[in-house]
Amino acid sequence: MDILSIIFIVAGLFFMIVAAIGVVRLPDVFSRSHAVSLTDSLGAFLMLVGIAFHEGLGKNTLKILVVLALLYILNPVIAHATIRAAFRSGVKPWQKKSS
Amino acid sequence: MALFVFWVLISASFEWIHLGLGLVFSFAVAWINSGHSLFVPKFRLWLRILLYLPWLFYKIIESSLYLSKLILHPALPIDPQLVSVDSKLRHHAAVVLLGNSITLTPGTITVEVDSNKLIVHAMDKVLSEDIESKQIESKIADIFKDEEPDL
Repeated sequence: MDILSIIFIVAGLFFMIVAAIGVVRLPDVFSRSHAVSLTDSLGAFLMLVGIAFHEGLGKNTLKILVVLALLYILNPVIAHATIRAAFRSGVKPWQKKSS
Repeated sequence: MALFVFWVLISASFEWIHLGLGLVFSFAVAWINSGHSLFVPKFRLWLRILLYLPWLFYKIIESSLYLSKLILHPALPIDPQLVSVDSKLRHHAAVVLLGNSITLTPGTITVEVDSNKLIVHAMDKVLSEDIESKQIESKIADIFKDEEPDL
């Protein structure tokens, strides 16, 4: 059980690191927020599942499941709100130069 | 009822005073928000949405891996673009579900929604073609096919 939880947590960490690299490397608000949503949708998910395996069945695991459900409801709302605010205030999306 | 379960989870104490307060407040909030029509039976719709979630989750994993590959690629081969999608969905809830599904899949984000026209920002050609193929939309149209249109 511990090995399983370690595998999940490490996989989650991998996606979080990828997302952090993405935030640094990508050119503008729009594409950066894609990287950020990668953290929420897989990084945090895998880490929480790992923690749930570590805890075993019980009250804490139930709480983790509630956190997951809320996370999956809130993540798209926040990403959409940020991006729509950027779009409405006139930020132009970065585009490939050669086209 | 769901509110009460939530209260018990958050307060994490089973003393009578806490349980009683939670019961009173959760029913009060439910009563105020319900428009006095609790327990509307829409089980079939919810069941279909529940069955749709595993497929969405598979899409999330697939495009997460694709996006990670894009980010870690040394040449950073991204080609962001705005795509405008005209959906044929006839329900507010269906459009909300579509927008949320698109945003939840890494690499695509719903930028703007106007009744049933969506503007989507996608990271590159492959992902935007995935949106234009309307795979998600046809799944959602399937979920809502028996409901009364309200848009």
